[in-house]
Amino acid sequence: MSGLGATVALAIVLGWVVFALSGLLLAPPWPAVLALGGGVLLVLVARDTLAANGLVALLAPFGVMLPALALRHMAVAQGLSVPGFSTAEIAVFLVLYTAFLCTAFGVIPVDIYRYGYAPWPVAFMVLAVCAYALATGNWFLAGVAVLGQLAWVMGWGSSNWFDMMLHVLLVPVAAVVLITRLL
Amino acid sequence: MAQLIILALAGLSVLLSAVAIRRDVPPDWRFAVPEALPANGAPRFETVFDYTAPAGQAHSPSIVLQPDGFDVLWFEGSQEAQADVDIHHAALRRNAGAWQVTARGERITRSQLGAASVPRQLVVTLGNTVDNERRSGDVYATVVSVGGWAMASVADVRMEADGPRSARKLNLSPFLNRSHLVKSPMVDFADGSLGLPAYFEMGATHGVLVRLDAEGRVRDTARIAGAGKPIQPMIVPLSETRAIAWLRDFEPSGRLLVSETRDGGKTWSPVRPLDMPNPSAPVAALNLGQGRIVMVVNDDPDGADRLSLLVSEDEGQSWQHLRTLEENGVGARYPVLRRLGADEIALAYSVGNKQGVRVHVFNAAWLVTQ
Repeated sequence: MSGLGATVALAIVLGWVVFALSGLLLAPPWPAVLALGGGVLLVLVARDTLAANGLVALLAPFGVMLPALALRHMAVAQGLSVPGFSTAEIAVFLVLYTAFLCTAFGVIPVDIYRYGYAPWPVAFMVLAVCAYALATGNWFLAGVAVLGQLAWVMGWGSSNWFDMMLHVLLVPVAAVVLITRLL
Repeated sequence: MAQLIILALAGLSVLLSAVAIRRDVPPDWRFAVPEALPANGAPRFETVFDYTAPAGQAHSPSIVLQPDGFDVLWFEGSQEAQADVDIHHAALRRNAGAWQVTARGERITRSQLGAASVPRQLVVTLGNTVDNERRSGDVYATVVSVGGWAMASVADVRMEADGPRSARKLNLSPFLNRSHLVKSPMVDFADGSLGLPAYFEMGATHGVLVRLDAEGRVRDTARIAGAGKPIQPMIVPLSETRAIAWLRDFEPSGRLLVSETRDGGKTWSPVRPLDMPNPSAPVAALNLGQGRIVMVVNDDPDGADRLSLLVSEDEGQSWQHLRTLEENGVGARYPVLRRLGADEIALAYSVGNKQGVRVHVFNAAWLVTQ
């Protein structure tokens, strides 16, 4: 399951890149068509190529949040209504996630990642995310948190729930979104 | 409407949590203390394998116990961390009372491991391996897919006769699951489970004791951090709750590092330097029971590569030099010690500055005579 899941996640992320780049030149719906075609091509044809295997080696585990954000971006561009995140939320996320990565490197001498292996802390964290989502009306955030928990409980992918919710690529993505909103 | 969806998701989360909590077996933080090694019979010391790579490097041997003997695994290629390094092995079996090499050659290639990995992925080079003592013949391998050792991951590799059958990286870091390596043998716990000593090699560096669940997935980790740049923890349990970890200082401090636990490995004291000289090299150690520990260490204060055999009668508080195993100039490094059967010990290390591998088998009676 995690092998297929990684391929699908890679297809979504690469499709997203195609969507974003082609969107600079083409009018809708062509960016979405190209993204879909690129993703399907990767899954069906290029799955076992050196390039795909190298990207999986580099980026896995993809988790749930990164491909979910990619799908959300493309869905919103097609006119669907999916809740997103405010500039303040993205800024706070960026600060907290950077601090979290610092704990992993030992720069901040606390091991937060360790709590992502254990069911009680994960239960508490998912419910905390759901409570925040309830307060802000963001069903997308709650959906990602619970889908990540489902994958974690089923043993699909990482044995650490944080890997379902976070990915290092979210740092440049969040930074780019912040910059474009502030400009 | 959105609120209803979120409440339904929260309800689903509670159900999932109930399943996870009911199924979970939390790690039991009590070590299994090894039985004393009996010093019976005649002293025996035998060099059973002495190998020099035809070209390039052969380095970092590990000992993988088999039902009828043991295998020695090492990585070999033009140079460590290069894209032509694979895992080689020699199978050692006892025949008519003598240890013999019954097979030798490649054991895990990069392409085999990449194809066996779930998800399938590129493997550029291979490094240190450790016996997975839970499953006979299986190993934990240090795998690099991009960059150098600081970008390595630890793969749980299930083996079959021709090579790896399947492999899955352990999830140990939120940074692209990078920068963890293995070097030292696993640690037994009282509940029959095993802990895997590993280390994080990026930035501040630290040792890690990894606890695994029944499926071999990471269930918990405990950091071993502090002074210097501690890597390659060699953990020796002393009782159900106490253990010592000796660590290599990745900085050129010239001292061996140490940390202790008093709660079964759940927490570790801040790493501190010992008086024992050590030229930034890993050590091997084994608890022989009744407070006796044997250690193989590069301990030349001038920072060369002399390899010594030491013994402690007081749980590592003081050390007695038993024998110089290799003099300076031999280029001996990366020792590993494992018990074999009831009364034997296997010792392997690399020689010739990473150009070969040497393996000895001796018994406790031989240690007494030193």
